[in-house]
Amino acid sequence: MSLPDPQFNAAGTLQHFIDLQGLDADTLTRILDTAEGFTGINDRKIKQVPLLRGKTVANLFFENSTRTRTAFELAAKRLSADILNIDLVTSSTSKGESLLDTLRVLESLQCDMFIVRHADSGAAHFIARHVAPHINIINGGDGQHSHPTQGMLDVFTIRRHKGDFSNLCVVIIGDIKHSRVARSDIAALTILGAGEVRVVGPKTLMPSDVESMNVKVFSSLDTALKGADVIISLRLQKERMKNATVPSSGEFYRTYGLSPQRLALAKPDALVMHPGPTNRGVEIAGSVADGAQSVILEQVTYGIAVRMAVMSIIMGNSDAMSASRISNNTTTTDAQL
Amino acid sequence: MSSTDSNNRLHTTALSGQTLCVTGVLLPGNEQPQDITIVDGAISSIDASGTRTADNIETIDAHGCHAYPGLIDLYSRCREPGLTRKGNIATESIAALSAGFTTVLCSPDTLPAVDSVATVELINHRSMNVRGGARIIPMAALTIGLDGEQLSELATLKAAGCPVASQADRPIENTTVLYSAMEYASSFDMPLLLCARDAQLGVDGCAHTGAVATQLGLPTIPVAAETVALTRLVELCSETQVRLHISRVSSARALRIIKDAKAAGLPITCDVGIHHLFFIDEYLAGYDASFHSAVPFRSADDRQALRDGLSSGVIDAVCSDHAPHDVDAGLAPFPVTEPGLAAYDWFMPLLLQLPQITGLDLDALMKKLHDVPADILGQQSGSGISVGGAANFFVLDKHVTCNVQPSITLSAGSNNPLALHDAKALSLSPLKGAVTLSFCDGWATRFNVNS
Repeated sequence: MSLPDPQFNAAGTLQHFIDLQGLDADTLTRILDTAEGFTGINDRKIKQVPLLRGKTVANLFFENSTRTRTAFELAAKRLSADILNIDLVTSSTSKGESLLDTLRVLESLQCDMFIVRHADSGAAHFIARHVAPHINIINGGDGQHSHPTQGMLDVFTIRRHKGDFSNLCVVIIGDIKHSRVARSDIAALTILGAGEVRVVGPKTLMPSDVESMNVKVFSSLDTALKGADVIISLRLQKERMKNATVPSSGEFYRTYGLSPQRLALAKPDALVMHPGPTNRGVEIAGSVADGAQSVILEQVTYGIAVRMAVMSIIMGNSDAMSASRISNNTTTTDAQL
Repeated sequence: MSSTDSNNRLHTTALSGQTLCVTGVLLPGNEQPQDITIVDGAISSIDASGTRTADNIETIDAHGCHAYPGLIDLYSRCREPGLTRKGNIATESIAALSAGFTTVLCSPDTLPAVDSVATVELINHRSMNVRGGARIIPMAALTIGLDGEQLSELATLKAAGCPVASQADRPIENTTVLYSAMEYASSFDMPLLLCARDAQLGVDGCAHTGAVATQLGLPTIPVAAETVALTRLVELCSETQVRLHISRVSSARALRIIKDAKAAGLPITCDVGIHHLFFIDEYLAGYDASFHSAVPFRSADDRQALRDGLSSGVIDAVCSDHAPHDVDAGLAPFPVTEPGLAAYDWFMPLLLQLPQITGLDLDALMKKLHDVPADILGQQSGSGISVGGAANFFVLDKHVTCNVQPSITLSAGSNNPLALHDAKALSLSPLKGAVTLSFCDGWATRFNVNS
């Protein structure tokens, strides 16, 4: 038994985008295909489409972020939406207001979509369960749980370079335990049928029973890299050195850093990826991050198209739902919660 | 003197100067229905049903029902003083009564903690003033403010009415202090009731370490957080010979340690919270905060070990671990919701499912909620329903369908998974059984179970 997945509305379509677990390959592929259509927009004279014209999107970031927030902002603007950036790190929460109260206030601003980032795992689920029915939620990262648009932009980048997933060997290196990016990458790759997903790192950075997520676990990076088609290096947070998780950044680089020598162990055409921001000389060598196999900056660029795709699909589902509600003259809105 | 509560869920009558007969009730170990006559709050006679003609006294028909001695809860929270937005002694002692309890040991984690005679007296006073209601017995905070540093005045607190000392859910980090606390308490033959949890390992966790928490990205509490702490407690118990009751065991490995300690002859007993015999970590999927418990729900194997431990006797007792909360406490992302389940309104129907899953019969089970706790409290055990004794028992209808409405629970808290999910979804049999009548401290309380 478990609570129903709050991502889906009564019609069974995606109302919110919170977690890749629970979605199917068709849904993910539709997002990737839609994103493909948006990639050309950068080459146009007017980098805008009117899909979200008249809609208001609010960035609710309860945790610091520059990259993700900016990418969502740009994606919303290219879809012609109005965008509000609300800094919640230093405002309401520090005044003791509950998350639910903050949410009610923001609902009253008549927005259509909230992009939410929060330090607690499950925060996006909680918000989706309690938000007014006309609002769509996109998870911009919740605790150590999920960062679904990052997962989607990673598989988008991989698909662009490699096409089919079924024969790919993907290696994810480093702090799997505390990483929402790792969990979303694993989910996206598994759903899309990737040949093999490997995770590698010291046991202190490996969550318990990680095998249950359909990955192979390695503690030697050299072994894990053999035959790799895609290498995803994760950021090592500085606080990991404080609580006896990792002795030093130097030792981490020597054991799990993606150096040019180690990269040579993978397939010659292996992609090098990183969600950013990178710690050069900690999890990845500067020369590898800047090297010919690196697609780190492409990931950033594709992040805009992928987020445009997610936002337009979610909003489209929501509008269809409202339209059917009006045409059927039903009064299901309150009862749904 | 009698009164009915505003939702017509119960009716309470003072027994002083009254004569009352409960007719046709089944007592433990006896298949013949009995009539129990109560005069002035004491049992005056127990006769085979119908053998004595009642002469103009009030009777309560209890044919088909069972009577058991009032149960003793080894771990509960009334939230008073200091946390009365979550519950108070009046609400929680009545809710406890509806669960079959007539005596409730309350955690010292109130505000302030139970570390002064004033707080003990306040709790005793409030408990005495509840019409009916289980007797609330505060446990002494083992250290001042439960801070784990300075010992409370244990001898004074014992004299004021605290038979047991506890640290609630706050482990003592300093081993010297813990050692000393055990030695000091044993000087006054004061048992310690302690929950085995490490002061650092898993301290930020909110879920059992395993595949479920990994998928949800929740910070975890490993089994070792319990077993490391437990091993330390056992070693210090061996040295000090303090009477030690391990509160709310959660894992198979912890049970092995307790089994060995008992085999070595140490004065150790333990209990399990009722929900841990039913719920496991898998139920947290989807971030269901109604399953957020400070002692985490662990794996299916751990649950099976707890069930086996109860039937084999390694586990001595079952407690409610009752933790009522206000609604706001659960309205947050899972890791920041306040842990704990309100147990009382669903306690009896859950208890009645234990014979089926543990193989223990109901009489044996009721002893684990009466005799063992009575021993720990230093009370006389025995049948508890006997001529000449005070009327301190409850009448149970095992077959009535339990239909708790979360909006009008007797406890101030309705924070329980059964308020959100039906029994079948939680792999439970249909919920049946209710306490229909309870005698406690000179009061008779009749519960309107079909309201």
